This record gives sequence, C-alpha cells and structure tokens, in this order.
Amino acid sequence: MSAAEPTLSVTDLHKSYGALHVLKGVSLGVARGEVVTLIGASGSGKSTLLRCMNLLELPQAGALQVGRHRFAFGKGEAHPRDDELALLRRDVGMVFQHFNLFPHMTALQNVTEGPIQVRNMSKRESIELGRGLLAKVGLADKADTFPAKLSGGQKQRVAIARALAMKPDVMLFDEVTSALDPELVQEVLNVIRELAAEGMTMILVTHEMAFAADVSSRVGFMNDGILAELGSVEEVIRKPQNPRLIAFLNRFHRQPVGMRGSVDAGHSGAASD
Amino acid sequence: MYAWDFAALKPYWSLIWQGLGVTLFYTVTTVLAGLLIGLIVGILRTAGPRWASMPLRAYIETFRCTPLLVQLIWVYYALPVLIGVDMSAAMACFIALSLYAGAFYAEIFRGGIEAVDRGQWEAGRAIGMRRSKIFRRIVLPQAIQVMIPAFISQTILQLKNTSLVSVVAVGDLLYQGTVITAASYRPLEVYTTIAVVYFVVLFPLTLVADRLERRLGAHR
Repeated sequence: MSAAEPTLSVTDLHKSYGALHVLKGVSLGVARGEVVTLIGASGSGKSTLLRCMNLLELPQAGALQVGRHRFAFGKGEAHPRDDELALLRRDVGMVFQHFNLFPHMTALQNVTEGPIQVRNMSKRESIELGRGLLAKVGLADKADTFPAKLSGGQKQRVAIARALAMKPDVMLFDEVTSALDPELVQEVLNVIRELAAEGMTMILVTHEMAFAADVSSRVGFMNDGILAELGSVEEVIRKPQNPRLIAFLNRFHRQPVGMRGSVDAGHSGAASD
Repeated sequence: MYAWDFAALKPYWSLIWQGLGVTLFYTVTTVLAGLLIGLIVGILRTAGPRWASMPLRAYIETFRCTPLLVQLIWVYYALPVLIGVDMSAAMACFIALSLYAGAFYAEIFRGGIEAVDRGQWEAGRAIGMRRSKIFRRIVLPQAIQVMIPAFISQTILQLKNTSLVSVVAVGDLLYQGTVITAASYRPLEVYTTIAVVYFVVLFPLTLVADRLERRLGAHR
C-alpha cells in the first residue's frame, strides 16, 4: 500500500433503517497510524458509521475500502457474500460497549479463538500469542478465568486482546467505556492509549472528551447523520466554531467550553474566568 | 383389607425386564431421532429460509396440539392406507414417537438458540468467523447450556410416553403388565410394580437434571 492511500476510507456512505435516515452521505479517510475519534449526540449516527466500517451494518449506498478490501453499495451492486465479509473482518478489530466475550470460554480461549478458527494458527502458537496479549493488557494472571468472574474493566481488556489477536490493520472502539463503572474506565483507556502510542490505526466512538482530546490525531463531530466537523483536537474540541458542536460540548460538560484547556480532565474544576 | 402378594409375580419377572428393555429401546431411539429432527427443524426455524418457516410451524403445532395417542393410532392405522405401505406396529411407534419428540425438541432448540445474546453473533462476525462457524463454536454451546433442563424434562416425558405403544400391542413395560395381569389375576401387584419400575428408572434422571441445572447456574 502506498503511503498516500488511507488504511480505511468510507465514501458517501448512506444508511437507513426503514424511513429513518441515519447516515446521510459520510466520507472519511483514515491514514495508517491515525487515531480518529467520533463524537456527537446519541442518535447522530456515529456508532452506525463505526459499524459500517466492518460491515456489521450494511450501508445502502457508498463505498468502503480497508486495505485491499473494497466494497461498493447501491443499485446494481451485489450484496457482499458471507465469505467476503469474513475476510474483511479478519483485518478490522472491533471492541463493543457490552464486551460480548464468549461466556463459555476462558479469557485465554476468548483470545485464541480467532487465531485458531479464522487464521488457522497452531494451538501452541496461538496460546503463546494469547498469553502475550493478556499480559499486555495486564491480565496475565486471568488467562484461565471465565468472563463471569471478571470485572467490567477486565472483560473489556480481554475483549481488546481478543481483537488484537487477529493482528488487525485497524481497530474500531464502540463506546467501550460506556458500560463500565467510573472507577474502571481508566484501566481500559490506558490500554487504548498505549495502543495509540504504538501506532495502531484506530477509530473510536466515545463520550470521554478528555480522553479524546488526549489521544486523537483528528476528531470528527457527527450531527444528524453527517460528519459535520472533522479536524484536529484544537479545531474541534478546544476551539470549536460550529454552533451545533459548541452546543453539544456545552451540554456535555454543563460548563462553558471553547476556552483552551477547559475539557482537559485535570482542569475541569478550574475557574475559567 | 387387601392382602398384597407380590410373591405371586415371581414367575413373571423376566417379562417385566423384557418390557423394560423395550421401553428403554423406544426411549433411546426416539429421543435420538427426535433430537436430530428437533435440531434440524429448530435451526431452520431460527436461521433457515423464510419459506420453510410456515410448514415447519405447522408440523410443530400439529404434533404439539394433538394427543400422542391419537398420533400413534393415526400413524398405525391411517397412514398406511394413505401411502399404501404396510407398517409394522413397531415402525409406527418409532415414527410417531420420534415426530412427537422432534416437535418439542425443535421448540427447545429454537428457544435456546434465540436466548443467546445477539452480541455473541456480532463478536464472532467481528473476528472474521463465518456464519456456520459462529453457530457451531459460539452460539450452539451456549444454547445447549440453556436447553439442558428443558431437554431432560422432555426426555423424562418421552420415556413415560412410550407406555402408549402398548395400545398397538408393542411389548413394552406397560404391555407386559397387562399380559401378566391376565395370567396372574393380580392387577394391584402388577401395576404397582410397573409404576415402581418406571419411578426407579426416572427418579435418578430428575436428580441429574437438578444437579446439572445448579451447576450451570453456578457457571454463569
């Protein structure tokens, strides 16, 4: 792949559920090593956009490209086959809000399932890989524990290890801390932060503004099915211009934003005048 | 006061064992056939083509909403006339009991499969698994855990339901009971013994079911 070509791109994506038009033509290219965060009110289409990137949702029109995988949607385009979808998803990791760990498998088995079943990796090699990844997310001692015995934060870290085990080109994070108790959020965000530092290409949907400001190469603001803003942390979170974006950020924090530093975690209590 | 005399049954015990053998034979074979039918129908109803749904539903409801005794007699007397094939009583019993069990097992399978969270399918898809593999590796093992208590209670019913085959003169436990009664003139002792034999076979099965249910509950 040439350096200029994005790792992942969506072009003029449209998605509706019946009469409800959720994505109204969204285009976005993500370069290798970039971390793009999608913010926006619930119902703005940000999760749907993310779920279109590994085709858990099939758009009605538009195009998706991830590495060598290319899909086009619309009139006259064939419905993608199960095997084509499976090939795409091997290379796109996804972490869900509700973890979706396999409850009948141990943490280690959750991580090795993909490599063994999908990548045809040998059992020995996959166990080595799995133990390494569990250690990376700080759960080396939980390899033989079933998900029911793990905390939410631990579950989510296993889920991240499971996705990483496929050695994906890009990782998608769908509100991965929204279902966690507040005190467990940071342990998950720290793992993601570490991945960002290693240069993993990532797209995140999140409500953690301070984290988004900290980790993102670019931030996208979804509003009413459109990618209304896309720019640097500075442009989108710290010095927003778009009135809808300002309204969203204000509603979000219940305190005025638009001033530098006002959304940084450490400054949230600081006087702004 | 009735004077019980179980000793009078002594010469007939071999018939009781024989009858129990037949009962167990029909139970095992029709449970296995019923499971196969139930698995196929259950899967087709949850993930199969739309056109298959109606006929399968019709099959399930027909066998769930008519008495097994009626089905047995119908398969034995009416079906051979309709399709012009002679059918032995044994074959008719096997077919009716299997289809009956299949209808109930299909609903248990369907319920178990549908009880598995949608997120499990998504998680399987997200790591690049194909549909069939997700079903086999992720969904079915969880569905079976959910299904085990219902499956065991249906199987207990199935063993008891085999007693209906005595109506078409298949020599199961109950049929042997009627034979022994005719020979010994001891109906109270005979039917009491028969009931005890059924109980002794089935009670341990309910204990196993309870235990499994508790163990599965602990795992979740």
